[in-house]
Amino acid sequence: MALKRDIYRALEDVVGPENISEDPVILDSYAWRSCIIAGPQKFVQQFEAVTLPKDTEEVQAIVKLCNRYKIQFKAGSTHWGIYNDPGEPGVVKLDLRRMNHILEINEKNMYAVVEPYVIGAQLQAEVMKRGMICNITGAGSNCSALPLAAHQGIGHMSQSLSYGERNQLALEWVTPDGEIVRLGSLGSVGEWFCGDGPGPSLRGIIRGNTTPLGGLGVYTKAAVKIYHWPGPPTFSIKGVSPHYKPSQIPPGFMFRYISFPSLEKLTEAVYKIGKNEIAFELMGFNAAMMASNIATSNEEDRKIYKQFSELVQGPGTVIIIAGNSPRDFEYKMRVLEIILDETDGKSLEPVEDPKVNGGALWRCIRITASIRETCRATGVFGGEVGGTDVYSLMRDYIALSAPLKADLIRKGLILDDGTNPFTQSIEHGHCGHAETLTRYFAQNAESAKAGGELYMEVNKLAIKNHFGVPAHVWSDAIHDMYGPHANNYTKWLRKIKKTFDPNATSDSTHHISVKK
Amino acid sequence: MALEDYQRDMEMCCRCSICKFIPMERIEGVQYANVCPSIARYKFHAYSGGGRMGFGTALLEKRLEYTDTLLEVVYNCQMCGGCDISCKYAMEMEVLEPINEVRIRCVEESHTLPALDRVINTLRKQGTMIPGAKAKRGEWAEGLDVRDFTKQKTEIIYHAGCRTCYDEDMWKVARATVNLLQKGGVTIGIGGGHESCCGSRAYQMGYKEDFLRQAKQTIDLFKKSGAEILVTGCSDCYYAFKVLYDKFGLKGDLEVLHTTEYLDRLIKEGKLKPNKKISAKVTYHDPCHLGRLGEPYLHWQGKEVPGHIRLFEPPKEFRRGTYGIYEPPRDVLKSIPGLKLVEMDRIREYAWCCGAGGGVKETNPEFAQWTAKERIEEAKSTGAEAIVTSCPGCEQNLSDAMKGNGNSLKVYDVVELLERAL
Repeated sequence: MALKRDIYRALEDVVGPENISEDPVILDSYAWRSCIIAGPQKFVQQFEAVTLPKDTEEVQAIVKLCNRYKIQFKAGSTHWGIYNDPGEPGVVKLDLRRMNHILEINEKNMYAVVEPYVIGAQLQAEVMKRGMICNITGAGSNCSALPLAAHQGIGHMSQSLSYGERNQLALEWVTPDGEIVRLGSLGSVGEWFCGDGPGPSLRGIIRGNTTPLGGLGVYTKAAVKIYHWPGPPTFSIKGVSPHYKPSQIPPGFMFRYISFPSLEKLTEAVYKIGKNEIAFELMGFNAAMMASNIATSNEEDRKIYKQFSELVQGPGTVIIIAGNSPRDFEYKMRVLEIILDETDGKSLEPVEDPKVNGGALWRCIRITASIRETCRATGVFGGEVGGTDVYSLMRDYIALSAPLKADLIRKGLILDDGTNPFTQSIEHGHCGHAETLTRYFAQNAESAKAGGELYMEVNKLAIKNHFGVPAHVWSDAIHDMYGPHANNYTKWLRKIKKTFDPNATSDSTHHISVKK
Repeated sequence: MALEDYQRDMEMCCRCSICKFIPMERIEGVQYANVCPSIARYKFHAYSGGGRMGFGTALLEKRLEYTDTLLEVVYNCQMCGGCDISCKYAMEMEVLEPINEVRIRCVEESHTLPALDRVINTLRKQGTMIPGAKAKRGEWAEGLDVRDFTKQKTEIIYHAGCRTCYDEDMWKVARATVNLLQKGGVTIGIGGGHESCCGSRAYQMGYKEDFLRQAKQTIDLFKKSGAEILVTGCSDCYYAFKVLYDKFGLKGDLEVLHTTEYLDRLIKEGKLKPNKKISAKVTYHDPCHLGRLGEPYLHWQGKEVPGHIRLFEPPKEFRRGTYGIYEPPRDVLKSIPGLKLVEMDRIREYAWCCGAGGGVKETNPEFAQWTAKERIEEAKSTGAEAIVTSCPGCEQNLSDAMKGNGNSLKVYDVVELLERAL
């Protein structure tokens, strides 16, 4: 279904002929499947056309045209997740890669204003030069730095740098019907420092439990909170890819992988570490994910994982201590020592090896190994991403899902990757998060089917055991599973969708649609 | 290997967009984070490494026809390999190889661009992709006391390369190389009028058969000479002799060295002693085919182990740019008294391409210049007075991009500066 000529020409008038295409070669490249819960189907639904708007005004003009001509649109930045894809024919893509500017870094008020195609690695590098740091989504520094673009936005550093929902400040939003709305302080005093006021606060509406995943207009600019960074402007990195490592670990930094005899002991340590606010990063990797972070190939990964498996006591966590001063560092280290004594925590010795330690530290600050940790093994991954709730609740949720995954491993349907449990504490234990990661050979239809079924079973588990609404809720069907068990939030979500998207032009495939 | 052999590699693409950027750990700001000129210039995902994996698969699945747009996307790529290196920081999949195979498939099925056909016709008729009479190929060496390796015994061959032989402006580099090697006590031989194109660019453009014909002809000439070492100052030629000839089982025991490697060796052995001061601040541009693509070819024969995780039997090592030629040219520059080397943001395995490669200069000179201008701006940001490189293709393209722009930046080959310092 090609776009009618008058529609195409109208879009072309907005962005210019160089910045729009409906050629099958261009469209097919966007239709290559995402790695997330991929199956044997290699290509997904094509867009009708791809546009490359350069600014908010062009985004608005495209959205208004879509409303006028009653066609759907979906915006995306770095294009990784499946929620960048259209759900059905007739959708126009807004590829936001020309909107790639850092508009402001406000050191005094500790925020940065970014357009959607600034990636985490770029923003982090810029703010580090100014003694600041930003959270980066766990999906990796290759993803957008916009706090709303990258799904949930929880990352390795969320222990001290929080996550997308909380780090999002003022925002510019092109609503599904083409209005430009400026939220928070931007809407009243024209400044970016706050998402909730003075001025209109619609943070819950534009974000919700996760984000609308492309289903509620386009976020064109946003301010993201940045934090104090006790380290140098950059680490001096030596080596050639893939063997990068700092020439030395700066004073005041420590990286360890700590394992515990049980999940209970790990939890006790997580809470104590949080209560004492000593960790810059507390990422509940298992031995397998630590191995993937370090290894430069699958072959090496398997060897390191085997070695680590024999050395760890049980579940574990990465911890990074970053001292604001020598005394602060010393204090934090002493507190950690006491906590590990009390909880029987044990450092994984090979990770302390100077050949390994610096590189792991740098990767876990710059969040550069996410692809190693997820996609390298098989090219695809799936599973369940828990929500942000009480740490121990999320831990239990994922622990309870483990036998379901083990069953599929026994049947040979998914990879025995050792990635359970994967938990993490957020905001010094204020809340937590956990995931069940599955990886499999995507071309095996049975495996893909089993992965999908596991996802559904884990959702049922969440409902049955009151684990709350997880983060991977990205369709009508899943929302409708949870709605009746969570105050019928779906009714409100649909009212929001209907109010702000009266013509149903913002592709709702991965959000929620207004049911007739 | 054919495109079909890379199907699984292409299907490993997880659409993460890392191929568009330099390795994440090397990003030091919002500027100079791109590694791929093609996606940086043309924006649509199809122009990226990942996009190319997608339409490579689409071609295999016969989802796409050979259209003008397909060829436009296919050939607006310098084959610089930046995407390949960034991807392989994490992933185990070939990226540049299937991109090259798509081009080979295009040529096999007669879907080419007129500009490329023209240069290939020149290659077929004259043994060079640059229009020029074969007899004039050796003119650059006139007056030099140098052997003809096709007639006289020599241990070391110096191969000047087409871009040097047919561009009078580049003769100075070849002549300087001969002078330096002779000062270092090395007896070299050249092919003169017998020298012919290495075929490297023909391969990168997808004309595999033309490459193989050139390669066989060239290697036969080398073998007949009995020389053990081949030295070249052209990065494309270096890549051909060291990597491609090896890939196709043609290289044999011939030791292939870039001029900078050999000169660095002579300096370190004390046979060349740069002692004249050159007071200048310069920056070094890594040619793609000497740097990230200049590492040895890794022969591997085996199979992928069936299962979920991608493992190979025997284990397969991927070329990741780790062992490219990065230090020798820098060490030569560092040996020159007074010369200050400052680095650009994108260097070594994640260097930004000069823009000339992969047939782009022939098919889309505007894109070649756009890419070079990006590099020039990056060089200027270091405060350097000159860009120094070690490839005539890079030197020409960067110099062309300087013209008419009021740039005071100079472009040199490493060899030129070393000669001045002696």
